[in-house]
Amino acid sequence: MPVLDIRDVSQTFGEGEQAVHALKPTSLSVEAGELVALLGPSGSGKSTLLLAISLIQPPTTGRIVIDGQTLYDNGRTGIDERAFRLRKVGFIFQQHNLIPFLTAQENVALMLQLNGVRRQEAARRARELMGYLEIGHRAGSLPARLSGGEQQRVAIGRALANEPTLILADEPTAALDTERGAKVMALLRRIARERRSAVIAVTHDHRMIEGFDTVYHLDDGRLARVDRAAVGGRGEGAA
Amino acid sequence: MELALKDIRRHLGKFLATIAGVAMLLAIVLVMNGIYRGNIEDGVWLIESIGADLWVVERGRGGPFNEPSRMPLDSTKSVAATPGVARASSLVLYTAQRELGGGSQQFTIVGYDVFGGAGGPGRLVEGRAIAAPRYEMVADRKLGLRLGASVPLGGDAYTVVGITGGAVDSGGNPLVYLSLPDAQKVQYEQDDRALTAARAANLQRLRKAGYSEDQAARVLPLLSAAAPGINAVLVTLAPGAHEQEVARNIRDWLYFNVYTTGEERDLMLEGRLSRASAVLGLFRSLLVLVSIVIIALIVYVLTIEKIRSIATLKLIGAPNSVIVRLILTQSMLLTLSSFALAYGLRAVIAPGFPRTLAFTTQETAVTFAVMLAGGVIASFMAIWHALRTPPQLALGG
Repeated sequence: MPVLDIRDVSQTFGEGEQAVHALKPTSLSVEAGELVALLGPSGSGKSTLLLAISLIQPPTTGRIVIDGQTLYDNGRTGIDERAFRLRKVGFIFQQHNLIPFLTAQENVALMLQLNGVRRQEAARRARELMGYLEIGHRAGSLPARLSGGEQQRVAIGRALANEPTLILADEPTAALDTERGAKVMALLRRIARERRSAVIAVTHDHRMIEGFDTVYHLDDGRLARVDRAAVGGRGEGAA
Repeated sequence: MELALKDIRRHLGKFLATIAGVAMLLAIVLVMNGIYRGNIEDGVWLIESIGADLWVVERGRGGPFNEPSRMPLDSTKSVAATPGVARASSLVLYTAQRELGGGSQQFTIVGYDVFGGAGGPGRLVEGRAIAAPRYEMVADRKLGLRLGASVPLGGDAYTVVGITGGAVDSGGNPLVYLSLPDAQKVQYEQDDRALTAARAANLQRLRKAGYSEDQAARVLPLLSAAAPGINAVLVTLAPGAHEQEVARNIRDWLYFNVYTTGEERDLMLEGRLSRASAVLGLFRSLLVLVSIVIIALIVYVLTIEKIRSIATLKLIGAPNSVIVRLILTQSMLLTLSSFALAYGLRAVIAPGFPRTLAFTTQETAVTFAVMLAGGVIASFMAIWHALRTPPQLALGG
């Protein structure tokens, strides 16, 4: 059973002649442990698709099933979308988006505490996770004192804290140099394999395509699966 | 996890500086409360301290505090003879500006019958009341005089035999108590040049009126002598006497205005004090309003600074209660800490303040409640903004 299964999901903004079809009817299925890349130029609908999947901006039409649970079916949502994101989805952002007044460990533990885990247990699990991500030595540092790569690892730690079935990443390597970007990709791959999480990453970074299992290309709201070898190394311009 | 406290810990210096700033503003509000209440208390203190049953003043006048009241000295005898009056005491009251204690000071002189009459010093903190018929004085400590000091006033020197603490008139001027004849002497005393000028003017008028040199010389002393008067007569009623009946008799037969202490107090509150109180009250309200607006703006800015973090929290699925608590806790901490510090500042400012500051628990509590309500309203504005923030904001590059 796929972790994510979306059928004919579309997103239209506005009405009548003013209507903008940001996402044409799109179907996509992602298995547990699979790494999926979403490529495409700016304004092609990549972020719109992520927002639709996470129900931050529910789609206009279509059906979304995550972990066997139908979350959205043509305008009907039967769940608390925030509670769903808290339990099932992990987010990784281009700018890391760590809470600046929390230490690295507190940023990770925050997710656990939001899910009802007690403070001490959350701190223990956060420390463990940071050890797994090899940034345990920076646990007490504030985000401003971490390098870009370290910040991204903390952000990954936060995304993993609740052991989500689906990780959505928005340009996870765009702010990193090639070496650090490659390390983050390797880490995502390891997480997907070991924790059986499905990872969907929006990226412009063709250097990292090799790390993905499946590559999709979005253009003008249309999603198409593409051959990884065909796009690997092809420059597509940063956002 | 208490996000509000974590944020404060991260920006502790900034938060403390903000608290200090707001506290200073709130301290001004609290001091303004004290000035407002102190103005009223000062204004009515002398009236209540004297505590006469009836105040007899010049006909058609709202004296002796709101407007001048001049009465002949023998008015006291007439009032004393009225049925129901146990004792009538003369009172002289006027403001003076003289060299005292090494500098020019404004004060109010109260002249009273030192032999058991009403109107003697209240709030005596050192020494005694006047016991001798002449040349003794009781002064308020605001004037900086010491017990036993010899103070020149007019052509005479007066010995300070008592010091009062907080004995002031309605304008906050310190009081100087003198015996009735001393007070009259200081009031009517003229220097030689003024006396010579008055004598020359009177002489000229007499000549113009056709008086001979001899006649003018005989009439002149009668014209030149200033007849000392009094400003009010204080009445102590005989046991069983009916206040309104005695007042009516004095009014009808002696042709004076008569007020009870309550009426005299009302005259003061509705007259001299009303405008000052209104102005102070207006300033106080404006200050409270400004304080609330400033607290609201600070809470709003604190929220706006965190808006991207708030968007991230919403995006990762944090419930609204987490965001509400973050904003509300900071707002309440800011308001409560500022008020507590302002309360402390008030205690520091009050003793050295040039005017009487009077504080009531009720007014302080009301100010606190208004500030707290302002803080809560400010929080709601910020919360409203935070909850409307789209989580997508976190995705923006």
